[in-house]
Amino acid sequence: MIEFVQAVLLGLLIGGVYALMSSGLTLIFGVLGIVNVAQGAFLVLAAMLTWWLWHSTGIDPLLAALLLTPVMFGFGWLLYRTAIVRVRGMPASMSVLLTFGLALTIEGILNVTAGNRFRSATPSYFDESFRVGALNLPKPQVFGFLAATAVLAALYLILTRTWTGRAIRACAQNPSGAALVGVAATGTAALAFALGTATTGVGGSIMSVLYPFFPASHYDWISRLLGIIVLGGMGSMPGALVGSLVLGLAETLTATYGSLQWSTLVFYAVIVVVLLVRPQGLFGARLREDALP
Amino acid sequence: MTDPTPPAPAGRPALAPRWVPGRLRGPVGNRHALAGVVFVALALFPAIRPHDTYRQTVLLLAFLLAIEASSWNIISGYAGYISLGHGAFLGLGAYTAGIVATRLDVHPLLIAPLGGVVAVVAAVLLGLVVLRSRGHAFVIITIALLFATQVLVVNLRSLTGGSDGITLPLPSWPAEFQNIPFYYLFLGLLGLTVLLSGWIRRTRFGTGLLAIRDDEGKAAAIGVHTTRYKVLAYACSAFFIGVAGSVYAYFLTFLNPLGAFSILTSVTIVLAVLVGGRGSLYGPVLGAFVVQIGSEQATVYGGSSQSRVLIFGIALVAVVLFLPAGAVPTAAAWWHRRHPATVEYIDQAGALARGQLARPDRTTPTGTDPAVDPAVDPAVDPEAAPARAAGQPRLVVRDRAPQAEPQRRALLEISGLTKAFGGLVAVDGADLTVRRGTVTGLIGPNGSGKTTLFNLVGGALRADAGEIRFDGRRIDRLRPWQRGHLGIGRTFQLTRLFKSMTVLENVVAPLPDARWRALLSGAVSGPEAARARDLLDFVGLGRFAGQPAGSLSYGQQKLVELAQALMLDPRLVLLDEPAGGVNPSLVARLVEIVRDLNAQGVTFLVVEHNIPMVLELCDPVVVFARGRVIAEGRPELIRRDPAVLDAYLGEDWRPPAEPADPEPAEPKGVR
Amino acid sequence: MAVRLPGPHRPSARRTRLLAGLVAGPLLLLTACGGGGSGGGGGSSTGPIVIGISLPLTGDFSQPGTEAKRGYEIWRDLVNGKGGLLGRQVQLKITDDGSNQDTVVADYTKLITQDKVNLLLGTFSSLLNFPASAVAERNNMVYVEPAGGAPTMFTRGFKKLFFAQQATAPRQADVFVDWIKTLPAADRPKTAAYPTQDDPFTRPVIESMQKQLEAEGVQTVYSTVYPADTANFQTIASSIAAKKPDLVAQGAVFEDGVGLARSLKQANFSPKTLFQTSAPSNGSQYSDGIGAANTEGVFYTVSWSDKAKTPLNAEFVAGYDKAYPGKIPAEDAADAFAAAQVLQAAVEKVGKIDQTAIADWLHGNEVQTILGPLSWTETGEPKGDFLLAQWQSGRVEIVAPKDVATTGKVIQPKPGWH
Repeated sequence: MIEFVQAVLLGLLIGGVYALMSSGLTLIFGVLGIVNVAQGAFLVLAAMLTWWLWHSTGIDPLLAALLLTPVMFGFGWLLYRTAIVRVRGMPASMSVLLTFGLALTIEGILNVTAGNRFRSATPSYFDESFRVGALNLPKPQVFGFLAATAVLAALYLILTRTWTGRAIRACAQNPSGAALVGVAATGTAALAFALGTATTGVGGSIMSVLYPFFPASHYDWISRLLGIIVLGGMGSMPGALVGSLVLGLAETLTATYGSLQWSTLVFYAVIVVVLLVRPQGLFGARLREDALP
Repeated sequence: MTDPTPPAPAGRPALAPRWVPGRLRGPVGNRHALAGVVFVALALFPAIRPHDTYRQTVLLLAFLLAIEASSWNIISGYAGYISLGHGAFLGLGAYTAGIVATRLDVHPLLIAPLGGVVAVVAAVLLGLVVLRSRGHAFVIITIALLFATQVLVVNLRSLTGGSDGITLPLPSWPAEFQNIPFYYLFLGLLGLTVLLSGWIRRTRFGTGLLAIRDDEGKAAAIGVHTTRYKVLAYACSAFFIGVAGSVYAYFLTFLNPLGAFSILTSVTIVLAVLVGGRGSLYGPVLGAFVVQIGSEQATVYGGSSQSRVLIFGIALVAVVLFLPAGAVPTAAAWWHRRHPATVEYIDQAGALARGQLARPDRTTPTGTDPAVDPAVDPAVDPEAAPARAAGQPRLVVRDRAPQAEPQRRALLEISGLTKAFGGLVAVDGADLTVRRGTVTGLIGPNGSGKTTLFNLVGGALRADAGEIRFDGRRIDRLRPWQRGHLGIGRTFQLTRLFKSMTVLENVVAPLPDARWRALLSGAVSGPEAARARDLLDFVGLGRFAGQPAGSLSYGQQKLVELAQALMLDPRLVLLDEPAGGVNPSLVARLVEIVRDLNAQGVTFLVVEHNIPMVLELCDPVVVFARGRVIAEGRPELIRRDPAVLDAYLGEDWRPPAEPADPEPAEPKGVR
Repeated sequence: MAVRLPGPHRPSARRTRLLAGLVAGPLLLLTACGGGGSGGGGGSSTGPIVIGISLPLTGDFSQPGTEAKRGYEIWRDLVNGKGGLLGRQVQLKITDDGSNQDTVVADYTKLITQDKVNLLLGTFSSLLNFPASAVAERNNMVYVEPAGGAPTMFTRGFKKLFFAQQATAPRQADVFVDWIKTLPAADRPKTAAYPTQDDPFTRPVIESMQKQLEAEGVQTVYSTVYPADTANFQTIASSIAAKKPDLVAQGAVFEDGVGLARSLKQANFSPKTLFQTSAPSNGSQYSDGIGAANTEGVFYTVSWSDKAKTPLNAEFVAGYDKAYPGKIPAEDAADAFAAAQVLQAAVEKVGKIDQTAIADWLHGNEVQTILGPLSWTETGEPKGDFLLAQWQSGRVEIVAPKDVATTGKVIQPKPGWH
């Protein structure tokens, strides 16, 4: 029984971290209609920068996130203005190809500058746990979960209470309408992309403590993240949260009671089944369009 | 004025030039001859330099990539469904060879065709499931399936050896031959793949795929069985990759899941096709050579720098941003800019001057004129409609025996039709009947649901409730192309022509039935081309046959779309705002065309905002508001109905006092 | 009104021919350049001896690949400093295969048939050595590989393949099992857990160990195979902690070894004996990864020790330190050096560059390397034993076999986590 509770708790903690990492992807898709396959690479980039900061200055990785978030924000904004904006008119697949190319480019740059070695940040608490009775709650996971909650709450507030946030949501639902009421479409789109990228600042710094990573790790992450947002509903924030928790639990429970080797299949199976049976996921909106039966 | 196409003499097929679908002729008049020269040169290479194993190896790897690229082009270039998991078929072919060779002790090369078959079976099974999604959903699914296949192969250890992999025996030929047999095997497979791709282009199958790429919904509406086409294209795109995979396994002598199902293989394929030109015949081959040889040079000259992935990523980004069309189409476009074809302006005077439509000779093979033969009544017996004999270039439409005025039979019956989008109810229990032989008008304020209704009848949307019957038969569960085959044609409010094809190809594109044989026939046969020309002449656009459809003006496109819809000999034509964007004199021409066709037995349902046109042309007129029919009747009555005026003009409007007005005896002209 | 209809364009036949020439020309040029002649270990018989090598300098295996390059280069410098091989200077021609199988095949094909190298040395990892060795065998060249101990490498009937380590994967852990057998019954582990990565190299090690220990009466309470991309070891650690085995033996590559150790600590469980493949051999990376104090008592098997008193070992370590000051060589560098030693011994004893003679000599003789004596069966599998190593006080000590041990002390049981 304890094992079950332990597994569930671990699953939820992991789910929280996944939620943070997938929130950016969901935001970008919801506003821009672009599946940013490079999100995993952004996470690895942020993790690498965090590691480097920690390694050279000893600053705690989670605190380093405070520095990294604006950096990633700027990076995302720049990337949008120079590259992403040019595929907005093109078919959806072109944006997937472009972002895939960006992911490879980032991986390549990291390979060249930092080398293809595993790295992880190891602050004092990296292998400690909180003990609650017979349960062990690993400290990095708990801190990560708390940080994720904080960031998601902040994101929610930004999107619902600020003018910028409302502008972003307006653009998502109706770009021309938004333009009519004074929202500058390109600028807002850039902001949305930058915001989505900024979440990887925190996500990456958490990742640097939780898991050893190397430049090619982004493949593992993007498969997980795609599974999450497909299940939750591309473009739905609550969906990303629920999807993350569900898949975090599924992953942990499969690993505990089933076979580890099949647990990765869970994500892919989810992607395929959901996209075919209920393409809008759990929470996404059904768009009015020519739906071929 | 010269008219290069002589009119078809009675009874003989027209001498229409044979139009090959796809690109307009480019700078190289005979690119096939050029390709042939290159092929022969490549085939002679090992004979000239038998010991240059290194270069042979580089070239054979380029052939392999070219096989993959050309095959990928079939589903992703022609049909527009971009797959990022196509490398899986290579892996499947390779593993087939590996498993069968090691278990049953068969020579791997003998298994190569089986590798192709396995790939095709996988493609068909996957395709039936996966090709229902579009756009980015499809791309994501293909990536997921690739990874999933990798996990499956790793986990099914007893079958595949898991991550230990499979080792195959060394090649059975003497060492002096080195890789020469592989060279020829791959070169041969490449030739076959390109032949397949080229052949597909020339058939109706190929045109159908291009149509699906340009506008899938429209393709379905004109009778293309989109699911069948897509699955077939997917299967075609898998076969040669599967065969090549088996040969490749023999070449590598070692298989493992990570290498066989790596996403980088799939990305390399995409890069190769993007570089060369998606959708063109030789573009993917050219791109494959560029990418493979370029990457080999990068290893040789820049080998010790840690930049492979980086170069790859930059190349992909650069191609997507700066050369999305690829080398071959971009070069062709550049060449066309230097040698522009003359753009025709609509021959307004010519079109109007046609005036009285040249009625086609309506003698049938049986020698009777069904218009006056009550015994032949398609309303009673559709099979008795005069068959269109092969080589008969007439504009023959299904005829209808004239019946008594008051009650014509219903052709289209809509009852209780409902469609909601979330909270918005667009069509709310609509009941509507279109009677045979009428030109029924459908008017109503914006947002009343008229286009949704059309979409429901045409099959682009599925209703939430209600029934649609066409000629007594329930059609609301049928797919769009099935409805097209039954005799429903449609034009669209915003024209939807296939931009990558010429006007003639557009008109020829519709498919009258779902026979498999139709797929394989040539894209533009003589009789069809002649009939299409006749239809284009009918709408006054005959001299535009060779223009790319996208270069026509909006009004011209509408006319082409009408000709296209008529190609299938429809019994009912749904016209969605046919006069929108067309100048007034052409509106008159349109009215004339509709009347002419109606007299020959075609029923119309016309949505229009041009009220004078509606009142003149249509009888009865149905008024649609807030998702349901609020009035129906003769135009003169509708014009004065208070409920109708309410719906259109608002509650406060009152009609001006009118002098007593006798019922108009004839239709007035358009003001 | 323009009346010209767009018709099929018919550019001049001249233009078609010109373009055909433009395409065919470079192809012919391609054929005209470069040398001809037969393939297979030709090369010149005077001047420097060129040894062709492809290594994963980039990609997944770049770390061991880079170390292997260092090992080869140090060997070359030592040999040349002593007058070379057969009186000729040695030149290494090293290319990067990017950890990619296609590339390694093309690389070795080019080295053999184009560059006409005199001799070959192997690349890193079974995955790359598999296809590369097939190329060598097809071209009748001796292939000595520093890595690639998966058992299926040697079931292909190759005559010129040699593995330059003491044992293939299934036999690597024998030395550890032997050590357990020397323990008094009360101190032996009663229960064991065997988590391993799904890797063609580590898996046979652990599976073989599991079979041998079960035959000795050690009960298996947990065993699992996890995929290579597993990053999250909490669940495995919890499951293991729930069973409380005396011995945990993990088939690790590197980061999974670090990951599981950390997770075991988080799960508050420290086994009496912890054995991991490969991971603990990564020196400071490993101790940084799990914390220096936590390395105490961790066992692993290794092919080489920097303190062993084997021929040329001291020179090797010194040469490495000179080139890379302050760094201890990694095992991969040592394996590469040993592979080169094997080749060198055979060439010198045979007296000329004759691939078949070299292979025959190696099948029938023993070579003294920095790893100790190496000899082979007819399939190229080595007959020998690995070294059992243990982390003690932040340093690595060899504890078995006795004749090469660097210390008599063995830490058992493993202290708890810090």
